Order: sequence, then C-alpha cells, then structure tokens
Amino acid sequence: MRAAVLGWLGRWETVLAACVIALLIVAYATTPGFADGFNIANSISLMSEKSLMILPLALLIITREIDISVASIGGLSAVCAGIMLRDGHSAGIAVGVAIVVGLCCGAFNGFCVTVLGLPSLVVTLGTLALFRGLCYVLLGGTPVTVIPTSLIDFGNNNISGTYVPLDIVPFVVLAPLVAITLHRMPTGRRIYAIGGNPDTARYSGVHRSKIKFGLFVVSGLACSIAGVISIGRTSQASPDGLLGYELDAITIVFLGGVSFLGGRGRMSGVVWSLVLLTALRSALQLHNVSAYAQGTAVGVLLIFSLLLSNLARVVADKLGTRRRRRTPHTDARPTLTGVGAPG
Amino acid sequence: MRSQAPSERVDAGLPAHGRVGADQAVPQLTRAAAGADGEAQVCAELLRVSKAFGPTQAVSDVSFVLRAGEVLALVGENGAGKSTCVKILGGIYQPDSGQIRIAGEDVTMHSALDARRLGIAVVNQYPGLFGDLSIAENIFAGKPLRGGTGLLDHGRMRRDAVGYLDRVGLRRDPSTLVSALRTSEQQMVQIARALAAEATVLILDEPTAALSTREVDTLCAVIDQLRNSRVSMMFVGHRLEEIFRIADRVAILRDGQLVDTRRTEQITEADAVRLMVGRSLTALYPDRHAKIGDVVLQVSGLAAATGVHDIDLTIRSGEIVGLAGLVGSGRTELARVLFGIDHRSAGTIRLDDREVTLRSPGDALARGIAYISEDRRGQSLVEDFSILDNATLPVVKKATRFGFVSKRVEMALVSSPLQQLSLRFRSYDQPVGTLSGGNQQKVVLAKWLATNPRLLILDEPTQGIDVAAKAEVHRIVSELAEQGLAILLISSDMPEVLGMSDRVLVMRRGQLAAEFARAEATQEAIASAATGARMHAAGPVAAGVASLPKVRAGAGDVASAVDVTVASEATPTRALVGWLRVLAARREVGLIGALLAMIIPITLVNSRFLSSTNLASVSAEATLVGFVAAGQLLVVLTRNIDVSVGSVIGLSAYLFGSCVKDHPSTPIIVAVLIAAGVGLGCGLVNGLVVGYGKVPSIVVTLGTLYVYRGIDSILSNGKEIAPGDIPQSVQNVLSHNVLGVSTLVWLGIAVFVIVGVALRWTLHGREMYQVGSNPEGAQLIGVPINRRVLTAFAASGLLAGLDGALWASHYGIVDGQSAGGLELTVVAAVVVGGVALRGGYGSALGVALGTVALFTIQNVLELAKVDSNDLPAFYGAAIIVAVTLDMLIARRSRRVKAVL
Repeated sequence: MRAAVLGWLGRWETVLAACVIALLIVAYATTPGFADGFNIANSISLMSEKSLMILPLALLIITREIDISVASIGGLSAVCAGIMLRDGHSAGIAVGVAIVVGLCCGAFNGFCVTVLGLPSLVVTLGTLALFRGLCYVLLGGTPVTVIPTSLIDFGNNNISGTYVPLDIVPFVVLAPLVAITLHRMPTGRRIYAIGGNPDTARYSGVHRSKIKFGLFVVSGLACSIAGVISIGRTSQASPDGLLGYELDAITIVFLGGVSFLGGRGRMSGVVWSLVLLTALRSALQLHNVSAYAQGTAVGVLLIFSLLLSNLARVVADKLGTRRRRRTPHTDARPTLTGVGAPG
Repeated sequence: MRSQAPSERVDAGLPAHGRVGADQAVPQLTRAAAGADGEAQVCAELLRVSKAFGPTQAVSDVSFVLRAGEVLALVGENGAGKSTCVKILGGIYQPDSGQIRIAGEDVTMHSALDARRLGIAVVNQYPGLFGDLSIAENIFAGKPLRGGTGLLDHGRMRRDAVGYLDRVGLRRDPSTLVSALRTSEQQMVQIARALAAEATVLILDEPTAALSTREVDTLCAVIDQLRNSRVSMMFVGHRLEEIFRIADRVAILRDGQLVDTRRTEQITEADAVRLMVGRSLTALYPDRHAKIGDVVLQVSGLAAATGVHDIDLTIRSGEIVGLAGLVGSGRTELARVLFGIDHRSAGTIRLDDREVTLRSPGDALARGIAYISEDRRGQSLVEDFSILDNATLPVVKKATRFGFVSKRVEMALVSSPLQQLSLRFRSYDQPVGTLSGGNQQKVVLAKWLATNPRLLILDEPTQGIDVAAKAEVHRIVSELAEQGLAILLISSDMPEVLGMSDRVLVMRRGQLAAEFARAEATQEAIASAATGARMHAAGPVAAGVASLPKVRAGAGDVASAVDVTVASEATPTRALVGWLRVLAARREVGLIGALLAMIIPITLVNSRFLSSTNLASVSAEATLVGFVAAGQLLVVLTRNIDVSVGSVIGLSAYLFGSCVKDHPSTPIIVAVLIAAGVGLGCGLVNGLVVGYGKVPSIVVTLGTLYVYRGIDSILSNGKEIAPGDIPQSVQNVLSHNVLGVSTLVWLGIAVFVIVGVALRWTLHGREMYQVGSNPEGAQLIGVPINRRVLTAFAASGLLAGLDGALWASHYGIVDGQSAGGLELTVVAAVVVGGVALRGGYGSALGVALGTVALFTIQNVLELAKVDSNDLPAFYGAAIIVAVTLDMLIARRSRRVKAVL
C-alpha cells in the first residue's frame, strides 16, 4: 500500500498537478484580476486553438513521431476558409473547406512519413514552411475581414450564463474521447506498443503505418478546427494566423509528461500542463508582458521541463530496479531523438 | 586447431610490445619474462573481485588469469556473472573489492578508455564501429596517424590498414565504408583495430553468435594468429563445442562465483555443464513421441526478392521440422515470407490445403501462423509493458468488452499459456524488462500461444538463454508438437537441430539443399549440405579466405557495389569505371551537374541572370546564409539540429548595429567581437542543454528560437537600425571586389575552406563524424561526446553571431524580426547539400554547393517575378524533395547491392 502511494506521489502527473495548483495560488495572490470571471473566460479562449492541437500531437509523440507543422496547417485551413468567405460562401461551406484542407495536409504529412518513409521531424519541418508559405501565396498580404456573425459569436461568446467560452467546447468534447481511446481501447494499447518497441509492435500484427497515418490525418483535422476557431476569435482570416503556436503545443505535450523517447505519457498530464500554460500566459498578460517576452518565458519553460524530466529519469533509474530504457538511436530509422541529443 | 603447449610458445617468441602514448607506467612484455612455473607471462589478472548492483551480487570473489598466447574461455549460465567480468576487465564497471592487475601491476580503471590505454580491447556483437566511415579510419579510430604537419594522414592510414586486414584475413579495400560490411567482417575490423592499438588483452564477447560455421573457422584461424602474436585472449560464449575447440583453459562461473578453472583437455563438456548448472542434466532434449497428422503448411516454388527461391516444403501437424544452414543461407528470410513480413514474388503457400496470400504479419496471425523471431529484446517484447500487456498484444482486439480493453478478458486469454510455461514472476503487472532472458522467452512463447496458432515458426529460440531454461523451452516445444502444432525450428545450434527435429531441412544460398529424416541426420551430413563441400580442417588464413564460398546476400548482407569492382582484377579500364561510379554517386558531383543544368538554360533565356549586379546580390545573400550553413553542418554531423540560428543572427545583428550607432568612435572590430560573443554565448547555451542536459536538440533550439527572439525584441523595444546608422565605409569594405568577387563572398569561401579542412584533417573534425555515426562507439574510444556537441553548437552560434554583424553591414537595416525564418533556409541548404540528418555524413563542399544551388533556384524564381513572400513555401518544398530524393537513391543502391 505504501509502495503504491509512493509510486503515485513520484509520478510526473502528480508533481505537475501540484505545480499547477501552486501556480494558481501564487497568481491569484499576486495578480489583480486573475480570478475575475472575464479574465478566466478570455484566457481559456486564447488557448482554445492550442488545446485542440495538443490532443493528436501527444499521441504522435508517443509513437515516436512528431508534427511541428500543426500551426501552419491551422493557418492554411483558416486561409482557405477565409477565401471561401471572401468569395461570398456561407460559414458552413467555409468550415467544410477548412476541414478538408486540414485533412489533406495531415494526409500529406502521413503519406511522406508512412509511405515514403521519411523522418517526421524533417517532413513536418518542411511542411511547416510549405503550408505557411501557401498561406501567403493564396492570400497575399491582406487578411480577410468579412466574417459572418455566427463564427464571431462562436469565437467570442461564452456559454450563456457561464464564464465558459464557446470555443473551448470542441476540446471539452474531444479530450475525453482521446483519453478513452488512448487508455482504454485496443488502438491506444497499440499506440503505446508502437512507441515502446516499433519492431515488436509490427511483428505482433500491429499495422503501424495505418495507425500513424491516421494520427497525422487526425492532427490535420484538429488543426483545421483550430483554424476555424481562430477565424471566429480574431474576426479575420490572416496568412499569419496561429503563427508560432507550435511552440506552446510542443511545450504543453512535453511538460505533460509525454516522453520524447516515445511509449510513455498520459492524457491527464497533458491536461494539467494545458492548465498550467493557460494560467501562466494569463498571469503574464495581466502583468503587461509583451507577446515576445511571453514567448521567451514559454521557451524557458519548455527547456526546463525537459531538463527536469531527464533528471527525474536519472534519479528513478538510480533508485529503482527498473532496467535502462533502450535508447532509440539503435533503431534503423531516425526518430525524434535521431536528430537529438546522443545517448 | 589445438594450441601448442605453453612451453613451446614461450620459445617461439616475438618482439616486445610497446604502447602508444602510455600515460600509465605499465611494464613492457618481453620474451625473456616467463613465469616461475614455465607457463606463459600473465597479461591480466582478476584477484578476488566482487561487484554488486543494489541487492544483487553479480560476482563475488572471482579470480582468474589471462596469459600471453593463451585463450581462456569464460562459461556459465545467464546471470552467472560473465558479462560483469567482461565489463570489469573492460573498465566499464569498477569492482567493489578485489584487484585488477595488468602485467603484474595493480590498476584502477574508470572508463573503457582507461582499459584501452592499458592495452585491453573488447570485441563484441554490437561493434563500436562507425558505419559512415571507412575501414581504415575505423581501424585507427582513437589513435589516428598524423603526417608531418600534425594533420591526419589518411593515405598512410589506408596503407597501414592493408597490413592489419591481411592479418585478420579480410580482403577488402580499406576505403570501403564499414556499413557495407557483414557482421562477421565488422568483427574482423574490430580485431584489426585491437591489433593496431597493440592490445595485449583481447576479450571476445560472444563473437560466434552471428557467425556461420565457415566464418567460425576463419575466426579460429585468426585466433591462432593472435596466439602466435602473444596476445592473451578471453572468450565468452555459450556454445560448448566451439569453446572446447578454441580455448586452452575454461573458467566456469555459477551464480557469480568461480567454480573451477581447468585445461580444456582435462574436462569433458558434460562435466562443464554439470559445474555450470550444479546438477546433472538428465536430458537436454526430451524424448520425442511424434504423432504426425495432416499437412498444415504446404509451400511450393516459393521465392522472394530477399533472396530465397524454389522453396518446396511441407510441415504436418505434430511434426517438428528443423531448418539448418549457414548464416545468410535464407532461413530467416524464408520465415519472414511465411509470416507476411516480406512479400513473396513467386510460388504458393497453402495452409490446411487452402491457398493464402499473406500481406502482413496481421494476415499471418489471422491464419494461425506465429513467428518467434531471433531478437527477443528488440523484436518480441515491449520492455515497458507488463507481462500481461506483452502477452496480449497480438490479440488485444479480442481482449475487449463493449469495445474497451478488459483486464479480465486479457487474463482469460493468456493465463493458461503462462501457467503451462511455468513462468517465474511476481505478478502479471510486473514490467517484462525485469525478467531474466529465459523467463522473457517464456512470455514470448505464451504471447504466441494465446493466438492459438496452427503453425509455429521458431527462429533461434534458445539463443542467449542459460542451459536450464533451454531444457525447459525444449520440453515445451516438444509438448506443443504433441498437442498438434506444426513447428518449424530454425537453429544454428546443431545439437538442438538434431535433438529436436523429426526431419531436418538444410538451406544453402536461398534454396533447400538437402532433407534428412531423423535417423539419417548427422552433424557432418548437415554441415556438408550447408556448405556444399566436404568438411575439412581450415588451412592457413589466406587459403581459408580464398576458399570461402560466395554466400548469397540475404536481407542484411550487403557487399559494396564499388568494392566488387575494386577488389576484382584491376585492369585500367575497370579501375577507371569504378572510380567514375564512385564519383557519380557523390552528392557533390550531382549538385554541380544540377547547377549547370539550371544555369545554362537560364542564361540563354534571361541574360539578366549573369549581370554583375544580379550575381553580386545573389552571391552576397548566399554567403550570408552559407556562413550559418557551415555551422549547421557541424551540428547536424553530431546528430543534432539548430533552429535558433535565425534568432541569433537577429539578436547579434541588432547589437552590432546599436553598438555602431550609439558609439561611433569605437573601432568597428569591437562591435564585431560583441556580435561574435553574443552568438557564441547563445550557441554555448544550446550546446550545454543538448550535450550535457541530454534534451533533444529540436526541442531545445525551438525553445531558444523564441527565447533569443524575445530577448532581441525586449532589447530593441521597437527601435530599429535604419539606413545611415551604419557607416557607408563598413558596407564598402564588404562589397569591395577582389579578383571580381566581393570581400563578403571571399569571407564565406574562407569559412567553408576552414570548416572543410578541419572536418577532414583534424582529430576534432573526424570526431564529429564519429559522434554522429555511432555515439556509443565514440564513447568507447574516448571521444568526449558532450564536449564535441558543445563545440558544434558553439561554432554554429559563433558563425551566426558573425553573420549578424555581416548581415547588419550588408543590409544596413535591422529590426526586431530580422533574419526571422532564416533557419528554414539554412536547413534546406544543408539538406540539399547532401548532409544526412541522422548524423555522421556530409561535407563542407556539399553544403557550399547546396547553398549555391538553393539560391540559384531562388534567384531564378525571383527573376520570374515570383513574390518573395512565397519563398518559404519553396524552402519547405526543397527540404521535402531533397530528403525524398536522398531516401529513394539510398533505397535503390541498397537493392542493387543486395542482388550482388
């Protein structure tokens, strides 16, 4: 019993939850207006796009892949939807186009990784540039500002009578679905297997390519919905929409305890991490910290969270009888850490 | 094969051994020194050594000696302490108590490098070789030969390598990349490296595990040579007949203690087993009461691109069919086709008299085929998963209730196989990585039994398992056959094949060479069928090599296409053709060709391309990126990436500009130094976190991309460096033409030359390649990986910092977003230049050409009036296209090689 409690205490998610609660208390104490209903709703709304991006991204990283083009897919979906709106089509058509674009982008990533066998880091680095570049090619420099009220309302209003913004609803719906899939369904078991040992998964009949391709497509889908949210929230479709969002998305996933070696991580940690980042950005915003400086803070947080998780791993290895994890650069194909720290 | 008596060998004698660059005062071995009892000189000794890991005592009170010109075999079950002894002698572990003596002197070793310096070399199954480097470089890795100038002398290393290769009987061009060699050849390179390092103690850790019978013969001949050279050897292995053939003495370990050390002629194999296990094993192989039923598997005319063809075989229910053959004969390839991993190109597979098409392991599973592959840890288990999760992985779709995975259903599926196998464990939730090898294999067996197979394919099922567990596995397999399973047993362990099989099939060169019934199968018959020749004792090394049959290349065996050309009769035309093929395969040549293919048509269509203004601006922009690309080359070689370079340039450009603007009287060099210093600092931060903090570089540099950009924005606070802030004189210096080329471009060329020379001819530079090609191997030869990674990032930062100064001087305008997004251009230039993002491969020339190519294309697009905002799309596409082309070319050349 004591071992079980100690084990629970030592888990990353528990430590993270404690940090989040500590941060919330400190922010509440030091930042006037932090607990204000309007501020809460606003802060959550600001993170609504990123909250969707992190769901499939976490699953991809567990399978030892990565998608850093998430923000560019979102931007491109938004741009295409904006073009539809500019040309007079309805919001429904625009949303549909955005989703199709997101699916295609995700499928392109998935194709390059699973069929061509290219490393996902390189592919999504390329598509990060390619999709963002297409935003400029399609829209030039001028954003689309003719946005139907239905979308604007979706992006700016709360659920009537509450401080819960409407644009967080997709996340609230999807997050439990993703969590159940990962932790309770055969597909989730297979995802962990692919990340834990890709060869074993293959020889156990797991169709790795199908699952990875599916994850990339789902990532594209989630990002396209994020793009639609962004149109509503900012009341425009701009070629630099969602620019730089991949930093937050990756930070949230790694901070949430998903290992960059693959095969590890839980949705509960990712959700706690999302809350932490929302609170952090909210507090910084209220202290009038500029967007660039906030980016600095998040960058530092990303690096420190990984340093800390490495330290935790070293300590756990020394304390427990757990065997050393097989380092992934013995694999034939380069993985996320194939372009990473040796050892 | 039997060695001479020790006294005879002492007289044979050889020149004294020296040690290169000895840091420690180690006495030299000479002919004259012989032990008091007339036996050979003691080279290394473990004295009452003990080592514990937490609560487990791995070895306790172990003592043995290694003598010059003698082979000591270390035997024992798994967990007996063999690998601990190897690691202690190899310097990787330090003993808790006891002493290590090398040549009579007490030593303390803190690392594998210390062991190397004392003349100890370890050869194991996972060679610390660098696949991207040549044989010659690998042989001299850690102790490279230098020329008069202090730079590395590659020519001399190639020439000297030939001598060492002769001694180990490896007839290959020393310029061949090690990745093109087979495992057995790579082991020979390891031994050659040990010889070049003048090792006096050679530890061979399971060297025969991946070797065929013929290759074992070659190894024995090499060991004899080493005996004559007075090298002392320790041989660790599982196959007793090999051990008794090779070793002079055998030391038996059991449960971490030394049971006995005897001369091999004074002990029988049975006695050795008894001492290892502590009891007599009544029967290693159970009596077979075969109840053979209907045909389960019928294969006719089966062929696959991986190298098997014309396979006809039948397996009945209740039958165990053994499959023997040399490594590379196609046995595993056949198994992989039967399991749907590889596709068949011809022939049919019938299961229960119905033809089936197997497109994936999932198909095979669904039809009742199970395949237990030879790499247990790597291919059969997920170490982080519990026993239960591992055991249910293939059937996890069935282990559900209402669509959710249910533990109760999981247990129902696998508890009976797990119990049948008498697995020793604490609980079903125990992570499988904590079990012993034998117990892990039982989990694998249980996993496959839970799929209710009709046909079970076992590939080396008892490899690396101790004797007691082996017996259990054999018993289980026999029981399974009696229950009606059809079993295909692939094994290189001849007694196992003979003891278990009802019929024995022998494969040679991808085909079935022979079939024997149980009664007529003997070791000689199988061996002669496997090799296609009558067994004979191996002659001198050269003859042994010459008579090696050309084993048909299997999936993993490749011979260098170029190497075949060079090694064969070298007529002048053949040599020229070979040389041309090498040249054509090089990326740099392809880039030059592509450049010419682009430039010539463009100049014909649009003469503005060749105008001096256009060329000047293109070359300036290319140089500004080239500076940073050279730094990125160093980072990527070490298997990392640096996407923060754009932000570093922006930050240093701004600081350079504001220094010049706010302090106009300060000499410009101060501002340049500030820019360089800032860049260096940024690079050091990256390098420290990546190299010492062990965080993946993509994540670190993504973070620092935003951190440095944020710092830049905070410092600049909306201000910008405007035209006129930087004196025109500075800009003029850069654009001043020398020999028709601007100073800026000359600087860029200089950087590439310096980087190129350093990478090719300095030890630091070659170590970058080693770090990226095989980090563990680099560690073993003492390369300070963390420092090299730090250096790479520091250099990248420094060059980016300098580039910032140049950027500000050239453009005259700097704001908080300058050089934003440049990292993509840099990565594109590096990728187009042929640098492998997996590390260990790439050249300065390639990156220079890649940068030029990229900017030529960009210029062409600009001249065609493409909007500059659209360029990021172009870079992204360039990255994807370049990487795809590289991958396709690599795939094609691998296929070409495999056919040879």
